[in-house]
Amino acid sequence: MDQELLIALTIGAPTLAGLGCLILNDKIARKVIVSLSAILLIGSSFILFNGGGFSYEPNSILDTLVLFFDLMLLVYFFYVGIKFKNILVIGLSLLQLLPVLYFEFILHGVEGTPTFLIDELSLLMSLIISIVGSVIVIYGLNYMDEHEEHLHIQKSRQNRFFFFMLLLLGAMHGLVFSNNLYWLYFFWEITTLCSYELIRHDGTEIAIKNGITALWMNLIGGVAFVLTLFIGYYYFNSIAIDEILKMYQSPVVLLFLAVLSFAAFTKSAQFPFNSWLQGAMVAPTPVSALLHSSTMVNAGIYLILRIAPALNNSALSYSIALVGAFTFLTSAILALNERVSKGILAYSTIGNLGLIFLCIGINTPLSYASALALLIFHSVSKGLLFLCAGVVENRVHSRLIEDWEGLIRRLPATSIIMITAMLSMFLPPFGMLLGKWVAIEALSSSYYISSMLIILLLVLGSAATSVYYIKWLSYLTVLPLDGKNFESEKIPWSYVISLLTLFGLIIIMGTGVSSVFNLLILPTLPSNYYTNIDASIINLNTGIGSFVTYPLWLIIAAMVFFGYTLSKRKGGTVKPPYLSGENVVDDPTVFHTTADGIAKIEVSAQFFENEFSNNRLLVLSKILGSIIIMLLFFAVML
Amino acid sequence: MLENISLNTIFSIVLIFCAPIIGGFLMGIDRKLTARMQSRMGPPIIQPFYDVIKLWGKEPFISSTLQPILAFCYFGFSLTSFALLALGQDLLLIIFTLGIADSCLIIASLNSKSPYSVLGGKRELLSIMSYEPVLLLTAISIYYVTGSFMVARIFYLSYPLISYLPLVFIALIPVLVIDLKKSPYDVSASGHAHQELVRGVFTEFSGYSLALIELGHWTKVVMMLSLVSLFWATNLIIGICLALVLFFIVLVIDNVYPRLDWKSMLKTTWSIGIILIIANIVGLIARVVMHI
Repeated sequence: MDQELLIALTIGAPTLAGLGCLILNDKIARKVIVSLSAILLIGSSFILFNGGGFSYEPNSILDTLVLFFDLMLLVYFFYVGIKFKNILVIGLSLLQLLPVLYFEFILHGVEGTPTFLIDELSLLMSLIISIVGSVIVIYGLNYMDEHEEHLHIQKSRQNRFFFFMLLLLGAMHGLVFSNNLYWLYFFWEITTLCSYELIRHDGTEIAIKNGITALWMNLIGGVAFVLTLFIGYYYFNSIAIDEILKMYQSPVVLLFLAVLSFAAFTKSAQFPFNSWLQGAMVAPTPVSALLHSSTMVNAGIYLILRIAPALNNSALSYSIALVGAFTFLTSAILALNERVSKGILAYSTIGNLGLIFLCIGINTPLSYASALALLIFHSVSKGLLFLCAGVVENRVHSRLIEDWEGLIRRLPATSIIMITAMLSMFLPPFGMLLGKWVAIEALSSSYYISSMLIILLLVLGSAATSVYYIKWLSYLTVLPLDGKNFESEKIPWSYVISLLTLFGLIIIMGTGVSSVFNLLILPTLPSNYYTNIDASIINLNTGIGSFVTYPLWLIIAAMVFFGYTLSKRKGGTVKPPYLSGENVVDDPTVFHTTADGIAKIEVSAQFFENEFSNNRLLVLSKILGSIIIMLLFFAVML
Repeated sequence: MLENISLNTIFSIVLIFCAPIIGGFLMGIDRKLTARMQSRMGPPIIQPFYDVIKLWGKEPFISSTLQPILAFCYFGFSLTSFALLALGQDLLLIIFTLGIADSCLIIASLNSKSPYSVLGGKRELLSIMSYEPVLLLTAISIYYVTGSFMVARIFYLSYPLISYLPLVFIALIPVLVIDLKKSPYDVSASGHAHQELVRGVFTEFSGYSLALIELGHWTKVVMMLSLVSLFWATNLIIGICLALVLFFIVLVIDNVYPRLDWKSMLKTTWSIGIILIIANIVGLIARVVMHI
């Protein structure tokens, strides 16, 4: 098939499907349209992936259209600023609108050809976006029905919801395919628009407030983009990214890259820009799932992955790693005190993005490979975690993890999937831990004495990460003592499809790690990045260490099997817990207390509110984060 | 050459299956020595084996259906992690595998609705948070010496590891104290019941699950001591003596120091432990740079 057509499909199909949903506000039509566009999207990104890289120059009418829509978009942002009387949004949108007008109509722009340059990296991103993204949108079909029912909404607002969800998928494809900075900027702004509209979807006070926060934080990134346009015009006479990246590493090129990295940090919610992603959890779950796993935040990662080869051995690269490492540790510590399920997931996302930035910043072939591995595995695992959290939330009607106690009995299937997804975030031999393992090996072998600081932040953060995940998942497995049996669970079809797809992906990619490396990661490395990674079926060899994959999976299977057999054979009656002999006969949930009173057994989850307060830590880490981000620009001067 | 490798492998496999037994004897010695330090007679050295055999035959009581499976996994993954060590595999992987074993124990203790067990589980979680960074940094500092994360490479060094990494060796002492659940860091559970904790993480285990947990604990002790013995891997006899000396030091510490709370445990490992390791690595790099 024509590759140009496929590009048009990946960007256009979701957008058109979105328009279709917007116009036909009907349940059945929506289901058909969304499923069709999911099939089209996944299909075309697969065919594209098989076809390999190429470049493409679309008709110049499209340039004018992009300009037109971009101006409309900026005017709309300006209008939002006026409407909600938010000085930041007004200022930041004007800071883009006026320079863009000047750039296009007085300076008359500058060439940036080819407009689309597709290489292995863009294709890999496209694969992640289309698969994980489509699954999440399909999940949304059912979720939004439940959601509107729960909120007692009479006139469905799902048309605008699905419009922005699908538009986001299209825009993300445009973003990863564009080589022309102006086009990239345009798609970047569309993702900002989508995130703003989706976060404020429910229209509650807090939703609108968080939407505005997301908007102005992302607009900062937009301003940075406009700045790069001017740097491109005045210094390089080009806004084609591939050309600029090939240039000699002069201070101006470094400044250009620093500004782009700054934009990436706003989109990927690194400290101090973390609060917009934190706030995004007020939106319906599919939104959080989409923003956190495969789209939005990955735009920032993609940008830095793209520019990494031009950064080699610069102080700038090291400061990117430092921003990531700092975010990784801080968000892990903040997550220890978080009680809201989606809040924990949000901190986990921010932290893992930090980890990925860290790996890219170290900028050795090995660490670049680990960044890609983390990106792939994180998208799938985090997407699944959010989807499960959504299912649970709609059933339990609470977001606090303390209310999720004993979930394994109430929702056994969802819980098991969710626990597996959690395990896949921090335990071997799942992909995320494998990525972390490669990261540690890459960091140790990068031989800078300064990398010690980053290693330190990494190991401390990784210890805290295991703590909050183990705490959470053991909470799900607590069985209340009232002796009731497991309940059976009814799951609608669209949940089954989406949960099982991602669950299957985690297991398949986890067991077939060597294929993931051979098919997806190693071909995606930039051409001058040569690694010793040898992914055979038994182990993954980095040249300085080896990770036994298959035997470890077999051992795990054997453990569970023999453990299960043993527990079946030996059996055992379930007894009430030890309570210093103060148990009450016939009721295991209470005990005798002073003065012949009877009290309920309360066992709380582990938080550290006496040790540190999240509010203070947040302020502190935002200040520190701002200082570290400023390092980006100091690093340019070195 | 090929004969040599297969002989080594056979030796390793025999060693893997002996690990719990060695651990049992170490526990027996532990009890005997501790008793002597407290002017008691103490039980016979094979008492731990009697205990486990008796536990195995007891009437099975469980606190949740998951508990025995997790107890089995705790033992299994401790053994796996030791096996990886004995087969000369990647140090980081060994530490992560040990992490699976620990997670199993913690989940098993947290998922029963027992106040003592949950308290112990929470503290065990903090114990891991305290020592895992130190272990990972130890692996990284070993990499700085050998240029590889593979345990097998340590045996090719011409000088023992401890001559390069003396401070790292000292940093491992608190880790060993935590891991053996000895005073002052026996916050999650200890050999004898404490008032506020009873038996901590182990409270809700009984019968065969407790036997499995005991076996797992023994294996883990052997695994940690083998890690220590790598510091003199050029002559493994000396390495083993080194590990036994450290074991004895831990016993002495246990009998000399009163218990401390988890905060001081976390502070010790995250400050002194890490500073020692970093100082050692910086020294190591400085030595290389000066040499050039």
